[in-house]
Amino acid sequence: MSAALIEAKNLSKTFPGKGMFRKSRPVQAVRGIDVSVARAEAVGVVGESGSGKSTLGRLMLGLMPATAGSVTVDGRPLSDFTGSEWRRLRQRLQIVFQDPYGSLDPRRRIGSQIADGIRLHGRGEAGEQVTALLNRVGLEAAHAQRFPHEFSGGQRQRIGIARALSTAPDFLVADEPVSALDVSIQAQVIQLLADLRRDLGLAMLFISHDLPVVAQLCDRVIVMYLGRVMEEGPARPVFHRPVHPYTRALLSATPRLDAARRKERILLKGDPPSPADPPSGCVFRTRCQHAVEACAQAVPELAPFGGDGRRVACIRAAEIG
Amino acid sequence: MLWVLRRIGISIALAWLVATIVFMTLHMVPGDPAELLLSTGGTMPDPAAVAELRERLGLERPLLEQYGAFLSGLTRGDLGVSLIDEYPVLEEIALRLPRTLELILAGTLLSVVVALPAGTYAALHRGGAFDRIASGLAALLLAVPVFVVGTLLILVLAQMLRIMPAGGYVALADDPLRHLTLLAMPALAIAKGLSAVLFRMTRASVLDSLSRDYVRTARAKGLTARRVLVHHVVRNALTPVLTVLGLHMGTLLGGTVLVEYVFNWPGLSTPLLRAVEARDYPMVVGIVLTISGLFLLINLIMDLLYAALDPRIRAA
Amino acid sequence: MKRLLIPGTLVALILLAALAAPLLGLPDPVRQDIAHRLAGPMEGSPLGRDEFGRDVFSRLIWGARTSLGVAFASALIAGVIGTAFGLIGGWFRGLGELLTVRSMDVILCFPPVLLALLVVTLMGPGAGTLILVLSVLYLPGFARVTYAEVLSARSHDYVEAVRALGAPAPRILLRTVLPNVAGPVLVQLSLAVASAVVLESGLSFLGLGVVPPAPSWGLMIRGARATMEQAPMLLFWPCAVLTLTILAMNLLCDALRDAVDPRTGGTRSRLRARDRLLPGLLPAAKPAPDTVLAVRGLTVEIDTPRGPIRPVQDVSFDVRAGETLAIVGESGSGKSVTTTALMGLLPSVARIAAGEAWLGGTELLRLPEEGMRRLRGGAMSMVFQDPMSSLNPVHRTGDQVAEAILAHRPISRAEAWRQAEALFRRVGIADPERRMRAFPHEMSGGMKQRVMIAMALANRPKLLICDEPTTALDVTVQAQILDLLAELRRDTGTAIIFITHSLGVVAEIADRVAVMYAGQIVEQGSVAEVFQAPLHPYTRALLAAVPEGDTPPAGIPGIVPPPHAFPEGCRFAPRCAHARPKCSAGALPLEEAGPGRDVRCARWQELACRSEEVPA
Repeated sequence: MSAALIEAKNLSKTFPGKGMFRKSRPVQAVRGIDVSVARAEAVGVVGESGSGKSTLGRLMLGLMPATAGSVTVDGRPLSDFTGSEWRRLRQRLQIVFQDPYGSLDPRRRIGSQIADGIRLHGRGEAGEQVTALLNRVGLEAAHAQRFPHEFSGGQRQRIGIARALSTAPDFLVADEPVSALDVSIQAQVIQLLADLRRDLGLAMLFISHDLPVVAQLCDRVIVMYLGRVMEEGPARPVFHRPVHPYTRALLSATPRLDAARRKERILLKGDPPSPADPPSGCVFRTRCQHAVEACAQAVPELAPFGGDGRRVACIRAAEIG
Repeated sequence: MLWVLRRIGISIALAWLVATIVFMTLHMVPGDPAELLLSTGGTMPDPAAVAELRERLGLERPLLEQYGAFLSGLTRGDLGVSLIDEYPVLEEIALRLPRTLELILAGTLLSVVVALPAGTYAALHRGGAFDRIASGLAALLLAVPVFVVGTLLILVLAQMLRIMPAGGYVALADDPLRHLTLLAMPALAIAKGLSAVLFRMTRASVLDSLSRDYVRTARAKGLTARRVLVHHVVRNALTPVLTVLGLHMGTLLGGTVLVEYVFNWPGLSTPLLRAVEARDYPMVVGIVLTISGLFLLINLIMDLLYAALDPRIRAA
Repeated sequence: MKRLLIPGTLVALILLAALAAPLLGLPDPVRQDIAHRLAGPMEGSPLGRDEFGRDVFSRLIWGARTSLGVAFASALIAGVIGTAFGLIGGWFRGLGELLTVRSMDVILCFPPVLLALLVVTLMGPGAGTLILVLSVLYLPGFARVTYAEVLSARSHDYVEAVRALGAPAPRILLRTVLPNVAGPVLVQLSLAVASAVVLESGLSFLGLGVVPPAPSWGLMIRGARATMEQAPMLLFWPCAVLTLTILAMNLLCDALRDAVDPRTGGTRSRLRARDRLLPGLLPAAKPAPDTVLAVRGLTVEIDTPRGPIRPVQDVSFDVRAGETLAIVGESGSGKSVTTTALMGLLPSVARIAAGEAWLGGTELLRLPEEGMRRLRGGAMSMVFQDPMSSLNPVHRTGDQVAEAILAHRPISRAEAWRQAEALFRRVGIADPERRMRAFPHEMSGGMKQRVMIAMALANRPKLLICDEPTTALDVTVQAQILDLLAELRRDTGTAIIFITHSLGVVAEIADRVAVMYAGQIVEQGSVAEVFQAPLHPYTRALLAAVPEGDTPPAGIPGIVPPPHAFPEGCRFAPRCAHARPKCSAGALPLEEAGPGRDVRCARWQELACRSEEVPA
């Protein structure tokens, strides 16, 4: 694989507690995560609510300052980019959001919203480019004159993608782009993202709670739980033969059409702990059926496992894998 | 419990801020405050009088010392003496405050008794005849200023029909019936605005509550309509109404000044207005602080009530 | 918009009169004429003269100029400064927020009239003092409204998107945030003006506002009070004008607020109980003996401004004891409306247009409310989608479950509480004694859904309707809830209707499935049969759209049509790869395609033959 386009090292984010007089506990959303995305590579981030996956996406884009660690683009840390360089960098890193209703300004025509990215960076005449972008995402030129409320959820998501493409980025964070859509529309949007990646060589961080979708679209996958990486590796193998107890539980909990594929159901105990009060040692140990005393002692290292380029953060990986 | 203490702490901090701002107002106005207080219509006041006033207000002392004396006076309940007749401000307030409180209490009770049931009924029969008439009436009542209502009440009931006294005050102990008769019109005038606000708020809040998922759950449980209404709709609708009631008390307290003036009710407004006209600064400050304190206290009580009604607040 | 018209015109007229006062050729409003003291209507003075012989009409018009001038000046000053404060505080937060927004809150600790009186004491009465005081009074209102709107705009993804595009902060504030904040600020402005008119007139009435002899409505009322026995009309005119002005402004505020706030706008609902058709118009159901619920031809109609729509049409299905029937469909398919209708919980705008539903020997759709109430939570109960909002936040969860028991059985509170505890234990809540005393916000989503299930099971229902009970939950928690439901069904023999949009969940939990599209059932049968060999092209397309690992999912082109635009004939035809002209010719029936297997497709037999050659 070629050198990383964008790389995060030991990335952490802590949100301070809220309240003026009595602070609530700070929330450690992301804790010491390493990610790298090469050109034209799609990396999936999978996790449930509170796993920190969305925060990771925002941090990678520099839309939110990290508490610790660094993000580098082409080997240069984000903090190096200032002034006009920062603005040029913004062209390269874009985002697509989950909520198709909140992600478009309700008071502006969609053509003008897509044109923003072109005008802000002086990338020439907007009109024709907007038409090209709309066509690219499967909409028509005439749609540019309409307001967001005139579109369906799937169409809005296409518009959101067109807006992200307007700066001709080379890295796209897609934050649960299909979660709010119906199944039949979901597949359309996944197909569109796959096409864009192939045609434009777009690198992508695809955030989702749905492991099958990620396996479908991504080369590699990162499984997160309470701000930490549990397992990472090539998407298909992780999907077909998960090693970490959490990945297994997650996959076995995902409802499947094919009865034969449904393996022995692993039911997790209880609810995920609050990110404001994570367990010591391995954060998953409180719900893990394989947990032993040693799991509470130290944070397990994300260590290589097997021969397929996979890494697993579990001290018992060898025993149970 | 911690929540209650914290909320009381906030109220004390706010009271301190209010006192500080009142203190600073005197010193923030451009020019010599004493000169300003004595000047009328652009004529220069007598320098000797200015000097004397500065002496009496303690303006010669350093600012910080004045502030300290002001705050320590407040904690001891010492609000100074009137510039006009040297009468202690606190005594004047102690005499008048109960009468003002009585008026506010009567007006609030009247509003609550009328507006809560009316608002609930209007919401349940949204779009019906009662809802339309009551909503229209509320809009009209909101639009008529309280002093207009008061003056018109006197004109019609006292001057033209001669069925009510035009105003005044008799102590309850002297003549209970006459006391209540005299209380009726000002209390009514106070209730007019508050009941309109409460009606609208109750109506909106009940409507909102009706559309909530938990009301659907309550119905899906097979509860009777009455139980759904009392335990789930009205119970939940009350909390926002309380907050609005607390916030609206500011307007109500201001309106009381006008009502007392119109009906000759010898509450706090008589000395207040006399003092404003006579530029009797210590008296004005004393009364403003008292009523603002009352406002803070009412809001504190409302918030505590709110917490008692809504468990989520206590956890926050 | 229509509601804006009348108050808008009225306010405009009043403003116009105030602005045009010097051009109207009115008599001097301050010139005294003692000879005509308290004179009635006369030549040149249509409304008569006041206690100093001044022209009343002229004073009214000039008074408007004073009152509105003060009101607008102070509202505008407060508006400009307050909005700027709110923008700065909301965007930069931290210290900026403390200085611009939080500090303003102190002003709200004073009753407005009193703060005004304090300043008047120091500065003396007059229009200048009034404008100063009023603008200070309204500052926090503007700052707070703008601040709150900026915060809410900031949390919207579209603001984040503009940030990601690289737009600088001032550009985002002016182009993206300000236009979205403008509505509420405008409402606040009209509120401030109306309130300022009230305060100005009140202070002038006390003699502490505008200085005589300048004309002001408050002063006119003050003056007329002294002579109200001789000349009551003198009191009437300013009172009427003042009230009318405030009324018009208040109405304008209300209309503006509704126009700006999308939540309150929209359709006015007509209140109407559902109409009661005579039963027996349709052929009677012939359900199997162990059928718990038999639905035949259920059609729901809703009145909308565009005319009546039918989000559910001709829906028929049976649920047998101990069986789980899944109703699957995308948003807008009518699956939730179907079950809401069965529970008798349809909103008042909707009514049952046709059909019947038999729960044992009881016909549900025409049952009077009291009979329906006895069934709800008793023989049939329901679990809803969002456990966060479906529990009442102010009652303890144990009480909410006990309440369900007490609604149907004449037992003591203590006994109900004991039974509720057993139910808590039954649905897998550890430490039930403590959990029952907890409030909903103290529980996780999965736990709340367990409470909802306990509540639904409270009276051993024959039928349990679950409306997307796991959609709001995480996958691992969803698995726990599905497992619980399967176990409960095994143990109690309760029939379950399970509504979901997820085919995976159907495969996990259901025995039979009904696929809904655009208000109709298009196919139903056993899960194994339907998933192995789907007959309807929509079912087939839906299955192909599910990402299952190796084959890439295929989307269905187009969108689900909204209920006011359902196509003629087959409703799926515009999106169907197999559509022929005959598909759109006329309404299609639900045909029996085998034992317990129905399909609504004009070409299902042709297509079934063809697909047999290609294994699914």
